[in-house]
Amino acid sequence: MLFEILSDGFFAAVAAIGFGAISDPPMRAFPVIALLAAAGHALRFVLMHNGMDIATASLCASVVIGVGSLLLGGRIRCPMTVLFIPALLPMIPGMYAYKTVFAMIMFMQHLGDSAASTLYMEEILRNGFVTFCVIFMLAAGAAAPIFLFNKRAHSLTRNKKYISE
Amino acid sequence: MKTAAELKEIAQFIAEYATRLMGSGVHTSRVVRNSKRLGEALGVRVIVSAFQKVVTFSVCDDDSGEVYSEVADIPPLPISFELNAELSALSWEAYDRQMPLPEIRARYAEIVARPRLDPIFTLILVGLANASFCRLFGGDWFAVSIVFTATLLGFFLRQRMQARGFNHYVIFIASSFAASMYASVALMFDTTSEVALATSVLYLIPGVPLINGVIDIVEGHVLNGIARLTSALMLIICIAIGLSCTLMIVKNGLL
Repeated sequence: MLFEILSDGFFAAVAAIGFGAISDPPMRAFPVIALLAAAGHALRFVLMHNGMDIATASLCASVVIGVGSLLLGGRIRCPMTVLFIPALLPMIPGMYAYKTVFAMIMFMQHLGDSAASTLYMEEILRNGFVTFCVIFMLAAGAAAPIFLFNKRAHSLTRNKKYISE
Repeated sequence: MKTAAELKEIAQFIAEYATRLMGSGVHTSRVVRNSKRLGEALGVRVIVSAFQKVVTFSVCDDDSGEVYSEVADIPPLPISFELNAELSALSWEAYDRQMPLPEIRARYAEIVARPRLDPIFTLILVGLANASFCRLFGGDWFAVSIVFTATLLGFFLRQRMQARGFNHYVIFIASSFAASMYASVALMFDTTSEVALATSVLYLIPGVPLINGVIDIVEGHVLNGIARLTSALMLIICIAIGLSCTLMIVKNGLL
């Protein structure tokens, strides 16, 4: 079990580094991105393993990533979004998105057969809804600390010696 | 007190700064905040209104009542987190140390001139990323290696087409088709081919506009947020079109 959690975190970290690289982050951000992605994805893995649904588990994980980027962002002077957007990407529900597209195609191929087309329509709704919910939860959960801790979130890139508490 | 020429110079620099940030994929409220802060550092008040393609703003000198307005196009730049971080830090530094305009301008030029990550390096990182993604979704090692090579192919195609200046949507359709078509060779072997097909296109997901769109809407820049989400949705539809072309061809193997 512990090995599974660790390997889940490891692959999430690699995925986050790679997807982050597309958006050209500063070099000093990579370790933090990897750490946040691993922590978030492993947490989601554990929660889902204990019976929580994917949307709620994603929300918990994204809040952890958001708060983590707030706490660590000041140290390396990076805005929160720079850290949490790559860290969230490994949690994109790719299989659900794929199944939605596949069901759409199969639906079109079975328009004449009402039993089969109903089945595929149900698949489209089910998978599409999960995809939408998870992506929304990811974005909302990670961005929440920006709104809650406004002042701190807006001065992460400021030199510490000028910040008066 | 600023002379009209000084005011104009400040406005033009802030125009350059703000459009660079908007073009590099920074959410609207940060651009507005940074520009105002930069203005404050230079002793003027800045009022910004940003849209998807253009930024308009006024620079006011409250001592003399002089106002200078400027409208600037947002250039279509690649997303850059580095510029996001460094230019935000520059605005704080200018504010805290009361830097004069020529010094800010020099620092700005130095930051903008920094090279991006090496394309080959990015290519390999993206390949590894998508391969680990496949692993996360439960693919076996054979599927992982197929996704790795499929992503290399698809992302390389995307880089080449971007360099040639192809249309955005065409690039997304073509590279999603190429990657998924390549990944469909997994169907010929006894492996988790469905996972391989599904993950082969995920490197294209436009995560930055998706999340920026949500942030913009929540922070009250509703129009900008919806514009960002719409453009992200268009790209996702393009990914789906490319994937669909593959699925139409190979669907009998999947049933």
